[in-house]
Amino acid sequence: MHVTRRRFLTSTGTGFAAVLATGIPPARGQQREISYLCWSNFAPASDKKLAEIGQRFTKDTGIKIRIDHIASAQQAAKHASEVQTQAGHDLVEMRMETPWLYEPQLVDVSDVVGELEKKYGKAISSAHEGAYVKGVWRAVPQYHQIFSAAYREDLFKKAGLKVPDTWEDLYPVGKELKKMGNPVGIPISQNWDSISTAYAVLWNFGAREVDKDGKTVVINSAETAAAVEWYKKMYRDCMEPEVLSWNDQSNNESLQQGKAGWIHNPISAYIVARNRKLVTADGINHHRSLGGPGGRHEIDVPRSMGIWKFSKNVEASKEWMRYLLGKKEVYDEYIMSGDAFNLPSYTNLHDHPVLKTDAKFANLRGEGVSYHIYGWPAPPSDKNQLITNSFILPNMIAKAVTGTPTKEAIAWAEAEMKRILAS
Amino acid sequence: MGRGRDEAHPGELTSVAVGSVGIAVAARQPLRVRVRELLDREWFLGPLFITPALILLVLLVAYPFGMALYFSVSNAFIGRPSHLVGFRNFINLWQSDAFRQTFQNAFVFTGTAVAFKLVLGISLALLLNQQLWFKRLIRGAVLLPWVIPTALSTLGWWWMFNSLYSVVNWTGIALGIMDPPGPNWLGQKYYAMTAVVAVNVWRGLPFFAITILAGLVSIPRELYEAAETDGAGPWSRFWWVTLPMLRPVLTIVVLFSTIFTFSDFNIVYVLTHGGPINSTHLFATLSRQIGLESGRIGEGAAISLYLFPVLAFVVYAQLRFVRKQNY
Repeated sequence: MHVTRRRFLTSTGTGFAAVLATGIPPARGQQREISYLCWSNFAPASDKKLAEIGQRFTKDTGIKIRIDHIASAQQAAKHASEVQTQAGHDLVEMRMETPWLYEPQLVDVSDVVGELEKKYGKAISSAHEGAYVKGVWRAVPQYHQIFSAAYREDLFKKAGLKVPDTWEDLYPVGKELKKMGNPVGIPISQNWDSISTAYAVLWNFGAREVDKDGKTVVINSAETAAAVEWYKKMYRDCMEPEVLSWNDQSNNESLQQGKAGWIHNPISAYIVARNRKLVTADGINHHRSLGGPGGRHEIDVPRSMGIWKFSKNVEASKEWMRYLLGKKEVYDEYIMSGDAFNLPSYTNLHDHPVLKTDAKFANLRGEGVSYHIYGWPAPPSDKNQLITNSFILPNMIAKAVTGTPTKEAIAWAEAEMKRILAS
Repeated sequence: MGRGRDEAHPGELTSVAVGSVGIAVAARQPLRVRVRELLDREWFLGPLFITPALILLVLLVAYPFGMALYFSVSNAFIGRPSHLVGFRNFINLWQSDAFRQTFQNAFVFTGTAVAFKLVLGISLALLLNQQLWFKRLIRGAVLLPWVIPTALSTLGWWWMFNSLYSVVNWTGIALGIMDPPGPNWLGQKYYAMTAVVAVNVWRGLPFFAITILAGLVSIPRELYEAAETDGAGPWSRFWWVTLPMLRPVLTIVVLFSTIFTFSDFNIVYVLTHGGPINSTHLFATLSRQIGLESGRIGEGAAISLYLFPVLAFVVYAQLRFVRKQNY
């Protein structure tokens, strides 16, 4: 059709006037768009699946979604800058207790979590600890990564070693492993894995850093001393000094390259070995994280999804949450793509089909497990998070294993923790 | 303008068009002249040239710096309202063991690294100033460590110091100068500091060498000839001619390097994350740990600004010294 200038001006002018008069934008402008910032998952296939689900979400709901990924290490800075500038993404994926840090900036999503819990059962303990802030859900539990023991089953069989059940059981096993040239690999350095394992050991020896009230430092106890003494003998007889220099990849690599005989880690170490067809892959298996005289508490890495308060698309963002997590078939599909690295965060989904995709996942079922996040049993207030982030726990252990008397190392940690809580 | 006239006098299109051209030309001429005159005036041209840079400086340097100053004297926490607390952050920090350790590390790290870079930089510059084969190629290659993004090259160093794959230890053991398994580079206090200093020296050396080389090239040959005539040997020529002539360049290089080294982040963050037991933490890495990972930007800003008064004085003193040199 030939459009004359007059006709063009008349039609566009009328349209514009109509928009101004009614305040309703035309249909094209009405398409809602949300943006979602998440980490680059260590199981990359699940990021691909997320993109695929995002496209289907747009087709089904008409809401466009932009999904951005950043490295885990950059998340803290990115979250901080988005909050400071009050601009950025609508939705953010958060690790562990981050929702506590940004509580005043996050939308109440209790309605979404309520719907999910009705469908899938209660959120697991660690997810609850991380995202349920002072009576309000500030983020929706998405999935979690467990810390299990990854060990060389082939070496265990060869040497007739028994799979340990407690941290104390690990000592004689570790001694044998070291003699075989395959030491235990528990990092004692300024990295996250060091903190994770240190909490698990501490709790299961019955020790705690800060009490339930979040204010009383209780690190200086006989139980902590027992845990530190355990670390000392493990370091001396079952490990090598290299663990003092490790970063988060090191224990994975040591197991994959055939050196370490036992590590405490999310199952990514095995998945990478299997996917890269490393010779060690067949020999690796998993068993549950260890217990002790203080019970069986496991460190866990729950991840959740929150909506910034500055977002102008809160409802559309909640629709995405309901689509990804609330539709059972979509949630299953998403979890299945993550190779059991990402496990569902709700109690009725413990026995998930993803655990049947590989015989090495059989021991990862989490029924009845008491999962916790950093700092437990203290609520993860910003001061308690600073205690964790300051690496006081691994540094206390590092001091002790390198010659500082146990009492002195614990007293140092106690003083540092008290200083932070008093600040 | 043309269209408006069209609508007013639709029948007089041609004559108006001619008229409008005439008017336009007449009006444009004085404007161009006026602009040219304006550009000839220093009071206008100077600020005009400076404005873009000034805007950038204000937006990207002054504003963030002002914010950092404010944060450092407030109890700012990411995403929460804050209020001023005076110098409390600076005072409280001193009670932290990690901070006191960081303070000490910063001086050890900077002092050692800058000293090594200075000595090695002068040596390398003297070497590059000789008539060498493939001189240009070598001069270009020397710059490489400075050109590669630090995070990337440091990752390479991380592999070299890695406990499982350390090529440094492998070579040392193969040559028989190290006992297996070799030093635990990133796991022991002094080794870790040695490692981060070594990487900083490796990275910063080209900046020293090339800048000093530029200084060396500009020293007049006659001075050396005169010295030789007076019977000065190579050492005397270096001590009495080269070094004094290089002093302004050295001052500037050391000044810049001191500031950059004090504020180094990547090397420590990638290699040791501040460990073992905080023994390699620098102000920037500790500031990130407290300010960004734990949300306490007030305290984080105070850490990174702790040395600001000292550094500001050093800069002032050195620049004053350079100005006195009249070079």
